[in-house]
Amino acid sequence: MKKIKYNKEILHDISFFLNEKKVSCQIKASTILLDLIRDVFELKGTKPGCHEGECGACTVLVDGAPVNSCLFLAINANGKKITTIEGLINTDGSLHPIQETLVEKGAVQCGFCTSGMAMSIKAMLNQYENAQHVPGDIIQDLPTREEIKKYLEGNLCRCTGYTKIIDAAEELFKQG
Amino acid sequence: MEFTIISPRTRSELLDVIRKEKNFRFGAGCTDLLMELKKKPHANLTVINLSQIKDVQFSGFKKSAKGLRFGAMFTAHKILMNEEIRNNYTALHESAFNLASTQIRQVATVGGNLCTASPSGDIACALVALDATCELLSTSGKSRNVIISDFFTGVRKTALKKNEVLYGISVPSKSKDTKDVFSNFIKVGTRRSMECSVVSLAYHIQVNKFGEIIKAGIAIGASAPTVRFADSACKYLIGKKYKSISEKEKEEFAKKVLSYASPITDIRATAWYRKEVLFNISKSIFH
Repeated sequence: MKKIKYNKEILHDISFFLNEKKVSCQIKASTILLDLIRDVFELKGTKPGCHEGECGACTVLVDGAPVNSCLFLAINANGKKITTIEGLINTDGSLHPIQETLVEKGAVQCGFCTSGMAMSIKAMLNQYENAQHVPGDIIQDLPTREEIKKYLEGNLCRCTGYTKIIDAAEELFKQG
Repeated sequence: MEFTIISPRTRSELLDVIRKEKNFRFGAGCTDLLMELKKKPHANLTVINLSQIKDVQFSGFKKSAKGLRFGAMFTAHKILMNEEIRNNYTALHESAFNLASTQIRQVATVGGNLCTASPSGDIACALVALDATCELLSTSGKSRNVIISDFFTGVRKTALKKNEVLYGISVPSKSKDTKDVFSNFIKVGTRRSMECSVVSLAYHIQVNKFGEIIKAGIAIGASAPTVRFADSACKYLIGKKYKSISEKEKEEFAKKVLSYASPITDIRATAWYRKEVLFNISKSIFH
């Protein structure tokens, strides 16, 4: 990572994969990943909610793991694979099965939490595929509703009451 | 929010940076640090970014006959997914399970939880009960070991000196006569996720083949300026049979735990409530 001085401010060169495309940019030390995604790369699907890691609306995947992009230093994205909700959409522009299922199950109302929810569900599906179980206790073929709730604990929704979101996640695990 | 950032890549680069910088803060998972800096900007601050250091001793996990050793950069998520910790150090597993949220656990580190030195630190509470040792590395390249209950010196204060960094944590394995271990972390809050404890209690109790307690570790959180090790309560249990502790003994034990509590009244609970809850959860740890 090179450092260059510009207008008395030190800028850092970083490059990373954003939705599987290699990108490079210069950032300030204090740049937050959320702002970089929305303001520099103009991907507005990642939502700014509380800016303090409570609501999960800004959830993106860093090397497959769900993180709050509002509490993630952009400098630490260097060399990593970042996936946003825009990266979930199929190459032909059609919706990803996660998005489709959320729609089908009526799990979207105002929609503000939805992209973060979808990314968390994606991360849970990934983790399940890799490790065959999630935090909790018993290793089983499918996660229980409790385990799904536990995994999605960092994503707040103020409209749906969560039931339909959990229904959608359950359905996705059934589909495999 | 403005600061300068330095991202050392190796242990020696890290020690160089600590030696040179005057006004710095360590950034591990940065979940607490960024929140603090967003609310209260510091002038001319340098953040030493620990995330890019490639050093297995700083971020990895190792099991030996003596016990476990993990680096300060070991994340809460890694604790949660670790089979050895899940099976044999339930208090630590549960503390990570109850920490913040899935997203925060991916980046939040053990070192960060300890160095923040919050009285309600979840992992901190479990590690105190487990009688862990902190390995502090100084810029001279030498390290010293500090017992975890001595590591916390006050609210958000630790035994770390200006020229030191928390490098790793070790947890002793069970005693050779131990047959069973009863270990858990109890967190009481107003909700289950993203919660700062109202009161927490971690216990790690080892019993021999006769069912007698031979070693006990009890720690309380959010009840005093630091997480505290309830030494006299632990000693009280030695020699007693874990499964047949009487009501009277439970009360006596809970009183001893409570003697370590000096809680405050704040937005989350009153001091009275904290004491009541602590007393009751102390009694509840025997099955």
